[in-house]
This record gives sequence, C-alpha cells and structure tokens, in this order.
Amino acid sequence: MTMSFSLPLVKMQALHKSYGDGAIQVLKGIDIEMKPGDRVVVIGPSGGGKSTLLRVMMGLEQIDSGSISFDGKPYISSEAPAKKTLIDTNVRRSIGMVFQHYTLFPHLTVIQNLMLAPCKVRGEPKASAQARAQALLERFGLGAKARAYPAQLSGGQKQRVAIARALMLDPKLMLFDEVTSALDPELVSEVEQVIMQLASQNMPMMIVTHDMWFAKNIASRVIFCAGGVVVEDGPPEQVLGSPKEERTKEFIDRVFHIKQ
Amino acid sequence: MNYTFDFNSITFAPLLRGLVVSLELTVAANIIGVIAGFGLALLLMSPYRLLRMPFMLFVEFFRCTPAIVQIVWIFYCVPMLFDVFLDPITMGVLALGLNLTAFNAEAYRASIQAVPREQIDAGIALGLNPWQRILHIVFPTAFRASIPVLLTNGIVIFQQSALVAIVAIADLMYEAKSLATETYRPIETFTVVALIYFAVSFPVTQIVGFLERRRQLLAS
Amino acid sequence: MSLDFSVLARFDHALLLGLMTTLKLTSVCILLGCTLGFLVGLARTSRSTVLRLVSGTYVEFFRGTPVLIQLFWIFFCLPLILGIELSNFASGVIALTLYMGAITSETFRASLKSIGPEQRDACVALGLPSRVQVTSVILPQAVLRAIPTLLSNCVSLFKESALVSAVGMADLMFVGQNISNNTARPVEVLTVVALIYFVIAFPLTRAVTLVEGRILKKLAI
Repeated sequence: MTMSFSLPLVKMQALHKSYGDGAIQVLKGIDIEMKPGDRVVVIGPSGGGKSTLLRVMMGLEQIDSGSISFDGKPYISSEAPAKKTLIDTNVRRSIGMVFQHYTLFPHLTVIQNLMLAPCKVRGEPKASAQARAQALLERFGLGAKARAYPAQLSGGQKQRVAIARALMLDPKLMLFDEVTSALDPELVSEVEQVIMQLASQNMPMMIVTHDMWFAKNIASRVIFCAGGVVVEDGPPEQVLGSPKEERTKEFIDRVFHIKQ
Repeated sequence: MNYTFDFNSITFAPLLRGLVVSLELTVAANIIGVIAGFGLALLLMSPYRLLRMPFMLFVEFFRCTPAIVQIVWIFYCVPMLFDVFLDPITMGVLALGLNLTAFNAEAYRASIQAVPREQIDAGIALGLNPWQRILHIVFPTAFRASIPVLLTNGIVIFQQSALVAIVAIADLMYEAKSLATETYRPIETFTVVALIYFAVSFPVTQIVGFLERRRQLLAS
Repeated sequence: MSLDFSVLARFDHALLLGLMTTLKLTSVCILLGCTLGFLVGLARTSRSTVLRLVSGTYVEFFRGTPVLIQLFWIFFCLPLILGIELSNFASGVIALTLYMGAITSETFRASLKSIGPEQRDACVALGLPSRVQVTSVILPQAVLRAIPTLLSNCVSLFKESALVSAVGMADLMFVGQNISNNTARPVEVLTVVALIYFVIAFPLTRAVTLVEGRILKKLAI
C-alpha cells in the first residue's frame, strides 16, 4: 500500500444522525477520511452505527448535520437546524452498494438485472450492455446463469450477481453492507473471493462485516465504530491485533473468545 | 338538473322496521355461520375422503354461485322439494346462514392449518394427547387468528341480506325501494339507506383493521 | 315430486343469450374495473392527502354498502341527476365497474405495499430515477403479485353480475327466473342456472391456486 500524499477520496466531517426527532442518536459526530485505494473495514457491535454509516454514504438516509465530500466535490451536506439533507445525485452515481439481502429484482433474469441501470440511466445500447454484463458474469464464474431467474440461484450466487450488478456502472467506490451475514457458511468464501478480486484491482471499498478473518485479510485500514463514534482507526494489525483503546480490546476479545 | 331535494319526505319508521329485520337476519345467520362453520371445517379436514368430498362440494357450491341465485333457489325450491312451508324470514336466515357457513368453514380451515407445526410438536413433546392438543393449542390459536375474517364475513352477510328484498322480504332494502317508489324520491331515499348500511358496516371494518394491525404488531 | 329437466330443452337458446349477456357485462367491467382499481390503488398510496382521502372514501363506501343499493342508485338516481336516460346495460356497467374498481384497488394497494423497501434501496444504489424505478421495478412486481387476488376479484364480480336482473337486464339470472315462472318448474330451471354459474366460477377459483403455486413460486415474488 503506497502511503503517498494524495487528495482524500472521501471526506466525512462531523456527521450526526438521529432517529425519532433526536430521540435515538445513531451517529454522534463521525470524521473519517478515505484515501484512493483504501480498503476500509468497519467493525463494531450491533446498533453502533456501522450500517447507518454506509447507508448515509449511499444517500439512502438523511443526516442531521455534517458533510461528506467525494473526490474533492461536495456530495452530502446538512446544517442543523435546517434538517434537509442535500445530496448531489451526480456524485452519488460514482458509488456502488451491495446489501446483506442481495435485493436482486426477482421478475428479471440475471442478465436483465445487470443491464437495467446502464441502459435506462446512462442510455447505453442494449448490445454493449449485454456484452459487458456477460463478460462480468464470466469473470465471477456465473456465465451459465445469465438467463436464470434470481429464485433459481443459491445465496452465494445471488450475492455475486448483486456485486456484478453494482460494478456495471463503473463505480469509484464500493460499499459492502454485511454481504455475507445472511449466507450459509459454505457459500461465504465464494463471495469473499470476488471481493478480494476487486481489491486486487485497487477498487476502493468500505466493508461492514462480522467476519473477522475476512477483515484481517482484506483490510488496509480498520475502523472500530461503537455508540455512534469512531473509537479506533488504524491498520488491521493494530485494531484487530493489539488495539490501543480499551473498548476495542473488549470487543475483539468477545468476538475471538480469547483473553489477550 | 331539475330536481329539488326534499329530505322531509323520508319517513324513518318503515326504514327502521326494515333495518331491524335486516339486523335480525344478519345476527341469526351469523350464529349459524360461526358455529356450523367450525363443525364444517373439522369435517373438511377429516382424513376420510368419502367424508370430505360431499362437504367440499357443498362449500364450493356456495362459494362459486351468486348469493342471489342461492336465495331465490331456497325460496322457490325448498317448499316444493321438501313439501314444507317455511315463513320467508326463516328461509332468508337459512339461505344466508348456509352461505356464511361455507365461507366461515374456509376461514376456520385456513387458520387451523396456519397454526405453526412447532407449537403442535411442542404439545406432543409435553405429552398432551390429540384431544388436549386440539383444545389447548390448536383451537385458541386458530380461533384468535380467524376472528378478523369471521367479522368481515359477518358484515358481508349484512350487505348480502339486502338481496332478500328481491324475494319480497320486508328488510331495509325492500322498505327503501317501497319508499322510493311511493314518494318518487329515489335520490334521497337510496342515499339515506346507503348511509344506514354504511354506518353499520364501517365501524366493524374499522375494528377488523384495528385487530389486524394489533396482531401484526404483537407478532413482530 | 318428479323432476323433469326436459322442460329446459326449449329454452336452451334463451339461456345461451342470457349467459352471453352476463359474460359480456362481466368482461367489460373486469377491464374497466381493473384499470380504475389500479389508478385508485396508486392514489391511495400517493403522497397527496387529498388524493388519499378522496380515493379512500370511494373505496370504503363501495365496499361498505350492498352492491344492490349501488346498482339501484345508479339505475334510478343517476339519470335524474345527469338529466339523461340510462339503459339498464349502461347502469349495470357503471355500477359493477365502480364496485370492481373499489375491490381491485385494495388488491393493488396490498401488492404495492408488499414490495419491501429494500427494492427501493437497490434502485437508489443503482442510480435509477423514480420513473424507471416505478415502471421497471415496482410496477411489474406489483402486478405479478396481484394476479391471484385479481382472479378472485373477477369471480366475485361474475357472481355480483347476477344482480342486474333486478333492474330488468336480460342476463342469465333474469332469463332463468323468467323461464322458471313460465314453466312453474323452479327446481329444474334454477338448479341448471346455478350449475351454469358454478361451472364457470369453479375453474377460475382453481386457477388462482395454480397461478400462486406455479408462477409466483418460480419467481419467488
């Protein structure tokens, strides 16, 4: 990993978010910077704000205050007490997201799922979209399933299709929200392999996962997020191996069942 | 539009009489339908094909033919076939009651089959015999689940009861038609009567909606 | 008493005509009613309070009153209000379409609501604009999910269509009652009429289970 001086890809500043009119605070001031090529893994207890962070980045949720800039351009911002979140949808198009429950479109075939966005949003001609989609499916070992319906695929296959679908739009950043949590254990590795493949092509990504072994293998940086704040942020050897913060240590111990 | 509204022309006394008749028909049909429907549901779920088939046919017949056809059939054919004379209201109750029994039987059957298998397994594991399982596990769960549908079916019968006017039973609908013809004021009469039907039905449908929402909340 | 079904032999043509009228009326009202129901279903889930209130009142009213009184109202009152003559076919079409619109709007509303919010999330993540989201993702799924219940709605409409006999329209029920009065043999005639309704409605109700089992299961919709 090159530690060269470069402009941050993502810059989150002072993100605050609450539910129920301030009753439940989910994000209490998040400041994170991502460099190009970063592979950030976010870990933490349930309800600590990890998934919300990803959803906010994808523009799926409103924020109470704070700002996010992407690739130097302002992307999301909100000023309290205005409460209206401004999202630049052009910038949003450079970000792709894959969800825990695949969320493929059940009434379309696999290849139709992949072709929908490029054709309808970017006006790409059907032939070229189809060729790109087929190539992407081959790359993920799913070439033969192009005309199948999502209901006919296994969980791992569906998730790989979901990743391919997001990649069709050439995103500059990929967000993975607990993408293996809903899978049977033997199907998890095929999905993680695909993500590693992307990592080897220098795709910047932010991953929320419970799978600590996967986190160790893929992360260039690990963030421990609990209670709506960033508790610790550093290289995987530090955060997962010998954490500086007590809270991080407690969490890692519980997850690995070892007293360090 | 040349029509002067005159709501004073509506005399409520006959309408009220008709409403009482309609409600009597509805309540009587519901008593039959709720009780007989349950018995019929049990018969429908019997493991013996010979027992199931005729009752399945009965249910399908009442669900796949118009209620008006059923009412007219019972009205004209039962006296002829069985050589009996029944007063009109009894025949109305019979027709509506049988109709409701068929629909309720389906509702009961669906809710009995919807009792989660795990609950029955738990009963077996606790050593309950089949009768105890039915009494303490299946029946309470199934009955509670079927209440919204039973209420809905019950109020549908109230609306179907309007059809007995066609065989000249003096219910609310019949009185409405008489009044409208006598006073030459169909708009006022029919509007008011429609509102009366609505005023009775609407609270029940709201209760059903409330029960369903509460059940969903409790289940999640 | 002895049953003699041969009396019906003379009237087969009349019964057929009655059946044709019933089927014609039902098909027209299914088409118009489903379209109306779809629009009303959308209105009931729209963000505009006015649309929601108006469509909600319409649906509650038509579901909360007997179809017979709706029919009578349209047949007797509408001509007076509009100042025009309405044939009994026109009244029947209007009344049954409004009824079908009300019940199918509930079907569409339920199917729209049953599509999880994750589908919307996926559309946002792919940058699909609202128009594409609705036409390519939400609508197809809503329609497919609605089909079994829509078939049930069609059967209900077919049964309610028998009421137009009460306003003198020569449908199957009207013809049947006439023949029954003429021949003074209600048992044979009315039983045959009931059987004709049954023979058409029953396969349709079976088709509902078939659609649910085959098509929807295959797509896991």
